Amino acid sequence: MRSALRLCASAVISFLAVHAQTLERAEALWKQQQYEAANNEFRALVASHPKNPDYRVRWGRLFLERFNGAEGAKLFQEALEIKKDHPGALLGLALVAAEDFQGKAVDLAGQALAADPKLTEARLLLARLALEDNDPARAAEEADKALAISPDSLDALAIHATIDWLNDQPDSPWMSRVLAKNPRYGQAYALAGHSFVLNRRYEEGIAYYRKALELQPDLWSARSELGINLMRLGFEDEARTQLQDSYEHHYRDAATVNTLRLIDSYKNFVTYRTSDTILRLHKKEAELLRPYFESELKRALATYEKKYGLKLDRPVQVEVYPDHEDFAVRTMGMPGLGALGVTFGYVVAMDSPSSRKPGTFHWASTMWHELSHVYVLTATHHRVPRWFTEGMAVYEETAASPEWGDRLDPHVIAAIKEKKLLPVAEMDRGFVHPTYPTQVVVSYYQAGRVCGFIAHEWGYQKLLAMMHDFATNTTTAQVIEKELGMKPEEFDKKFLAIVDAETKTVVERFDEWRKGIREVARMAKAGENQQVIDKSAALRDIYPDYVEPGNLYEFRADAYLALSDPRAAIQELEHYAKVGGRSPETLKKLAGLLVEAGRPADAAAALDRLNYIDPVDEDLHRRLGDLWFAGNNIDGAIREYQAVLAATPVDPASAHFNLAKAYRRASRPDNARDELLLSLEAAPGYRPAQKMLLEMSQSEQGK
Amino acid sequence: MAAAKEVGGGVTSPHLFAVAALLFLPVSLRATTYYLTIAGLGGEPEYEQRFAMWAGEIESILKSAGGDASVETLKGPAATRANVRAALEKIAGEAKSQDSLVIMLIGHGSHDGVEYKINLPGPDLSATELAALLDRVPATRQLVVNMTSASGGAINALSKPNRVVITATKTGTERNATVFPRFWVEGLRDPAADTDKNETISALEAFHYAEHKVAEYYESQKRLATEHPLLEDTGKGTGVRAPSVENSEGLRAAAFPLVRLGSAKSIAGSPEKRKLFEKKDQLEQQIDELKYNKAVMAPDQYRKRLTALLLELAKTQEELDK
Repeated sequence: MRSALRLCASAVISFLAVHAQTLERAEALWKQQQYEAANNEFRALVASHPKNPDYRVRWGRLFLERFNGAEGAKLFQEALEIKKDHPGALLGLALVAAEDFQGKAVDLAGQALAADPKLTEARLLLARLALEDNDPARAAEEADKALAISPDSLDALAIHATIDWLNDQPDSPWMSRVLAKNPRYGQAYALAGHSFVLNRRYEEGIAYYRKALELQPDLWSARSELGINLMRLGFEDEARTQLQDSYEHHYRDAATVNTLRLIDSYKNFVTYRTSDTILRLHKKEAELLRPYFESELKRALATYEKKYGLKLDRPVQVEVYPDHEDFAVRTMGMPGLGALGVTFGYVVAMDSPSSRKPGTFHWASTMWHELSHVYVLTATHHRVPRWFTEGMAVYEETAASPEWGDRLDPHVIAAIKEKKLLPVAEMDRGFVHPTYPTQVVVSYYQAGRVCGFIAHEWGYQKLLAMMHDFATNTTTAQVIEKELGMKPEEFDKKFLAIVDAETKTVVERFDEWRKGIREVARMAKAGENQQVIDKSAALRDIYPDYVEPGNLYEFRADAYLALSDPRAAIQELEHYAKVGGRSPETLKKLAGLLVEAGRPADAAAALDRLNYIDPVDEDLHRRLGDLWFAGNNIDGAIREYQAVLAATPVDPASAHFNLAKAYRRASRPDNARDELLLSLEAAPGYRPAQKMLLEMSQSEQGK
Repeated sequence: MAAAKEVGGGVTSPHLFAVAALLFLPVSLRATTYYLTIAGLGGEPEYEQRFAMWAGEIESILKSAGGDASVETLKGPAATRANVRAALEKIAGEAKSQDSLVIMLIGHGSHDGVEYKINLPGPDLSATELAALLDRVPATRQLVVNMTSASGGAINALSKPNRVVITATKTGTERNATVFPRFWVEGLRDPAADTDKNETISALEAFHYAEHKVAEYYESQKRLATEHPLLEDTGKGTGVRAPSVENSEGLRAAAFPLVRLGSAKSIAGSPEKRKLFEKKDQLEQQIDELKYNKAVMAPDQYRKRLTALLLELAKTQEELDK
């Protein structure tokens, strides 16, 4: 936008020169919400005073306020090129970084303060960032420093008030001071709303946004946030009203616009309700996915109810999005949330298996992860640090099945090697304000491993005890001390010792493995099959968790097949599946080999794994249906053949006929006849179906 | 019942074509089909190998299908323009009007905005030249399956009444290497492609199969589709992605038997069963007519009548199979 505006800038400069712009005029227009006019003023100011960094900084702040942080950042950078320690420019960059929850925001705000120690806004930003990091003591300290510079700072008072509210002290004296100075200062409650939402305390967050709007109905940012969070909790009608109101009053940031679009798209979804579940699926795949999602949803709820000793008091809503962009709208403005699924109270939003390349996403593992959050958040009344709820969720994935969950990936190996794992008491920082690009991924691993470590050393019940402690607003350090009987620092030592021992081989020999895998790939390409097998055995065991494309299990299996040793190939691929290999093609290959080896039940099990990975695959359902039909698992066969039909097969006649056969074997003649007629309606000359029709007809006549 | 509704609606178009197929069938039973498959220049070893492999697979499927067929394949260094001309001139000298001709092109194509060419060793072959060679073949029924990149650019030059033209891409500007041939080959050997289960894969069925699989491929790989197959069989020169009664495309393709499967081959050559075969044809036509009236019939009445006809057809088929 800005560059386009700049293109025509030279054309209007002569006119503007006559007009005699002033900063005051630009600021006045901005205050009057005449944003376009203010933008024009700033543009002309910068054109006529190219060496003035202040104008660029103020122009950047206008962009930042009007939802264009990227353009704002460019202007702040330009200001820094003119004056390298411009405090306003540094603050501007810190604010842009803070919007995206980047760890560098703290550093930039610090630099701004170094350039101007009396820059209250930078202090306030540091206080807010500390609050986001779940560090109320530091937040209070920064707020106090801000008050020391500006005793009337309403935002500093609001920080203190928010800390009280987060600590369940509703009658904060700090808010009384805010209201005494400005009875319409809704922004104070909006800050609290933001903090509660970041702490996943959505209902309380919504209540604070409402309070903000009671004081200041035209606080459109708060109204938009209210709408977004109502929508997150499933209150779509009111969410739409609030968001539309914001939109109509020109508050049109990406989150507002995209959330409205998402609400509009709900007409393309189908909702299935039971007494304890609400499942929302896109029309185009609802019939196919419903049986798999419904059964897994029920299984997870039953398991968690028992494990957590908690019965939910309302249905859990699971929304499944075939378009990843729709899912992404759900996580806008929320740091460190999963890239595949997200939980808002009783509402889980997640990617559909069809939204991702087959083999890259285990939807059932994701669903179990998110449903764990529902229980942990409910059990703790949403008073739980991010690391703990994520750690529990990651732990539950592999507890549901050792093949599920994420494997140790190269980013985590690098983090362990570089000693980048965080102390347990500071782990939230890794989710909320990551300081390196892969820190969120590393934090998920670490949190899961911490919970696994506790479960192993102290028992699963200890995790539940910790969960209940968190419900009382206890800090991680206090909980560790209370339940594990040691200081967090001591826990960190023990934990890191275990992690180091577990990962010693791969961490120390990772470079050797990486070099070796390249060599094996070259050998495989050259058809040097025996060399592939000889070279890869030891390499595979350096990093057995690696099951991504180019893994050694597949190289070895292919080499064994080329050397006519299918048994060894099967062993290799079974190992791959057990470790968590998810390539549909490879698992289908394993199933094919198992069939050839006379192990149909194992072949069916190999294919059934894919139902949790890539159920949008007609061929999978047909093959699995055939295997189960032959193995007399008729209910399973019926489910798979129904899935074939739901996948709009290229050959509907065969699909209906297979289902008819299964129904007939299940002694459901009416269903069998219905499917048989549908098969013959599609293909009247279909011999096997004709034969069955004659048999059924003769059998009915004989009755 | 949702499934019933879907199937009833979904089969409308193919069955119009099935009627047409039955009308054409007696002619096809007495004629020879000439198949010429050309695998062009790969440019890189990987493509060279892939193109030759697909052409080889087509040859093997067609040869094992039997029937009165002449199968020729030009691939690798043999796939020159001169050899293509010679092969088509030979067919032109042998074929009769009741015969059929099937040309399948695999490889890289190009389109300069005016003219389409398939890349061959030595001089390339343009769509106009190919059309002229095809025009000299007396076989009335012709099928051109152009599976190369940019093949959509050839559709206009190749179109003609009585000729079915299938292309892997919708225009000459879709220039990426295509996956269409992979699924076309798969369709020729996959019984699932025979959706009406008459044991013959028609050109339309093979097109539907490959088109469906191509779309599925790009969808599952989360890649932007760089090819959109088209079919044209009216001679108008504009292909469609979904041939149907509404756009009048697909009628000839439905009536064009491409590969016969299983016992269809032996029945085709058994004159003593012609009477039963004719009865079967009539029953199939009655079933098609009934399906067209489905929307205006009471469901029970439709089901009863359909069951009766299907039973009669099954009994007739049982007699034929004895």
